[in-house]
Amino acid sequence: MRDRTVGSEVPVPAEPEEKGDFIGLVPAPIVGPFRRSWAWFDDRTGITGLLYKGLYEAVPKQGGWAYTLGSATLVVIIVQFFTGIFLLLDYVPSVTNAYSSLLYLRTDDLFGDWIRGIHLWGAYVLMLLIGVHALRTFISASYKKPRELNWISGVMLFFLVLAMAITGAMLPWDQAAYWTATVVTNIPHYLPVIGNGVRTLWRGGNFVGPVTLTRTFALHIWVLPALLLGLIGGHLYLLRRHGEFGSWVNYRTTTDNPAREIAERIRHAEPPYPTRGTEPLYSVPSETVDFFPDQLFKDTVVSLVLVVFIFVMGLISGAPLDGPANPATLTYVPTPEWFYLPLDQLLVFFPTQLVGFGVFVIVGIGATLMLALPFIDRNPDRHPIRRPDVLVPAFFFIGTVIYLALLGVNRLYNL
Amino acid sequence: MQHLILSLSPTSVPGTLVTNTVLVGGVALLHVLFATFLIGSCTLVALSEGISMVTKDERHERLARSLVHAWGYIFSTGAAIAIFFVVFVLVGMWGRFFVSFQQFTFWVWFFEALTFVGEIVLLYTLYANWERLRAYRLARLGMVLLLNIDQWFQMFLIDVIASQMLTPTVQGATDNISYMLQFLNPTNLPLTIHRTIGNIAWAGALVALVSAFQYLRVTRREEAPALVPRQRSVVRALGAMPEGELVRERNREAAYWDWAGQWGMLFAFGLTIIQIWVGYSYAKEIQLHSLDSWYQMMYGWISNIFLAQFAGLGLIFIFGVAYFWQRLKAAGQHTVARRHQIALILLILLWLFGIQPAWFAGSYPDIVAAHLAKPFWDGGLEDPFGFFFPWKVMVLIADLLIALYALWSYIRARVRTPMTMGQATRSSQRLLIGMAVVVGLMMLIMGIIRESSRSPYLVNQNITISHQVILQQPAPNIPLSQRPIGP
Repeated sequence: MRDRTVGSEVPVPAEPEEKGDFIGLVPAPIVGPFRRSWAWFDDRTGITGLLYKGLYEAVPKQGGWAYTLGSATLVVIIVQFFTGIFLLLDYVPSVTNAYSSLLYLRTDDLFGDWIRGIHLWGAYVLMLLIGVHALRTFISASYKKPRELNWISGVMLFFLVLAMAITGAMLPWDQAAYWTATVVTNIPHYLPVIGNGVRTLWRGGNFVGPVTLTRTFALHIWVLPALLLGLIGGHLYLLRRHGEFGSWVNYRTTTDNPAREIAERIRHAEPPYPTRGTEPLYSVPSETVDFFPDQLFKDTVVSLVLVVFIFVMGLISGAPLDGPANPATLTYVPTPEWFYLPLDQLLVFFPTQLVGFGVFVIVGIGATLMLALPFIDRNPDRHPIRRPDVLVPAFFFIGTVIYLALLGVNRLYNL
Repeated sequence: MQHLILSLSPTSVPGTLVTNTVLVGGVALLHVLFATFLIGSCTLVALSEGISMVTKDERHERLARSLVHAWGYIFSTGAAIAIFFVVFVLVGMWGRFFVSFQQFTFWVWFFEALTFVGEIVLLYTLYANWERLRAYRLARLGMVLLLNIDQWFQMFLIDVIASQMLTPTVQGATDNISYMLQFLNPTNLPLTIHRTIGNIAWAGALVALVSAFQYLRVTRREEAPALVPRQRSVVRALGAMPEGELVRERNREAAYWDWAGQWGMLFAFGLTIIQIWVGYSYAKEIQLHSLDSWYQMMYGWISNIFLAQFAGLGLIFIFGVAYFWQRLKAAGQHTVARRHQIALILLILLWLFGIQPAWFAGSYPDIVAAHLAKPFWDGGLEDPFGFFFPWKVMVLIADLLIALYALWSYIRARVRTPMTMGQATRSSQRLLIGMAVVVGLMMLIMGIIRESSRSPYLVNQNITISHQVILQQPAPNIPLSQRPIGP
């Protein structure tokens, strides 16, 4: 492992040979002409030091493929941002033109339909990725002290992505979008006291109409992304502050004198380890590698596979577009997106009077428990087999969500 | 083909409707007890084998071995009953129904038979070579997992049949139904999940039952004057262990059976908690897609059997939490034990509250006549979740929450303060036996309820029990003068 004392504290310009190490990945004939320009730029920005700090952080060695999900999530979010910007070039957020602008995008704009397909499949993959990433974090107990805020920001990111997905589904203003808007904007009214006010605020009146679309559009492209970016920044900062936890496999001791072994690890730890505020056993992984190139390589492979999958699915399957919104229809049966099937199916079991209970109490309790998990699970042990008190209820919860989703699929087939 | 079936004389079927119905029910239920244990225990074997490979825990290895050894006897008996069921009961006594039903579920039966072949190959190979395969544990685990997949698929297929009989994909149609729609008929998924969970719970309950008996046997021998000089000399004469070693062996055995009973019990109890929720969703689907059957279950004559199911469910929780309480007390964890004692009292009160027959409040028509068919918050007696009576659903929700808390706090207590195995009281083992018996009864009662709720149909709205014929589609209402002339 290289010595990273230079540049780790203060982003001073690195020595030329160290710069060469970084730029050395690029063939010399290409680097040569830019060396002076790079030195000029670095002198003014301290970019080399920052890159060193970012790229040569220590990460746990064992199980590196399992830790690629966070980076892959970030990559897919970036894909969503870019495809979203492309869609904005054509999309018109008005009830009279939204649908026709998408028709134009589909038929007259080169690659327009493909971009829309990528945006949709990116959202699907993002949902799955965040779910699997959260599950991995949960099983490996990475949410424990001092990483509570990493977990909380991650859960909030998950909720924000769900909100992005549902607001995005309302924008095409086709039949599916209109009826989704009708159902979703109606949900807040089940809240006691403020419910009707929130619904009116969102809809811009008593019924779904032009203002509903523009407000939902504003939420989708400004409010939610702004919150998302802020939280992603915080999430990444916290990750770098405490270091990647990995999982229990990275902290096993192998000698007869574990205390001494742990003390040795702490003595030779490389930034950002040792993690402050945790038990000595879990403060430094037994083996670490540099983020660049070891972990970055794995991150790139997984992200690339997913991006290729999204692009291919966007091309093959695309994004559906129903007929234009028709509030007068009596035959259209709205069906939710697959990631909302569990909630939709849960509400089938509730009579109208208790939908609010289902949406806000049951889902609210679930969300609160997810957010409060680091404070509920105080058991210092990280091995899943020794944490059945949280794993058993969690699998009960996950099993229920999966079961509801399957029931929902079955119900849609029997409509 | 249909003409051939209809031309069969009903008198060619031996036995009366009553004897045939009783026989089909009796043999099917007997078969169910064997088959469901096999499927559930296969999952437990995979789990124990996997855990023992990771943790080197010998108890799990022993449990897996014991279950595989039991398979040989259980599978051969269960398979013999199944063959008797199909060949003599279904073909012999319900031939018209079976043949006509096969017409539109042919491939389901075909693949069901194929999975049976797969089960024979894998199960007997494992049974006969379990010890020999010890050197190749990953391969052994792989075979167990394959057997799991085979059995789950088998159960899924038989559930297609069972659910298709209760809630046919297209009401009134008997053929030309795509297999995809048969698979996705409204109640197949909830039934499959309900049974999957029930099978594992039943296997866990039987493990708990056998372990409890063994624990009682081992500890009785310790308490009884088993080591009086005369017997001791007999033991020594037989070349058995010396006295100290014998006691140590008994302690080891007691520790193992205590652990195994607890392990099985956690599955029986924990998975039954999920059954409340899954069972509710199953009942809801029946209500939505086969209201007549649902009405039979909740308000018809079957409602009394359903009440027994309700009572059994409550008893499982009562026995389970009583066991937790006893076991925690024996382990010296008195604070947590006291919480379980309170949970137990609550469960008993809820049970007494919940087992009141629906007719205590009058029949549903009585309620309608009394203008009380409205939600309870409007002063009526109708349950907000449907037609159930409110207190039943409230009891179920309360049972679920209390049982979940009891399970969670027991596991938490076990994790925080390791429990020495072999210290269980004898009364706690009797609770395990009681719970296992109730779980077994529940398996039988559930089958009776589901299969009887279709009455008088064999396939809902299609084939009746009394005639075993396919009902004709009603003729269009064409005026007499315009009807076609001819045969």
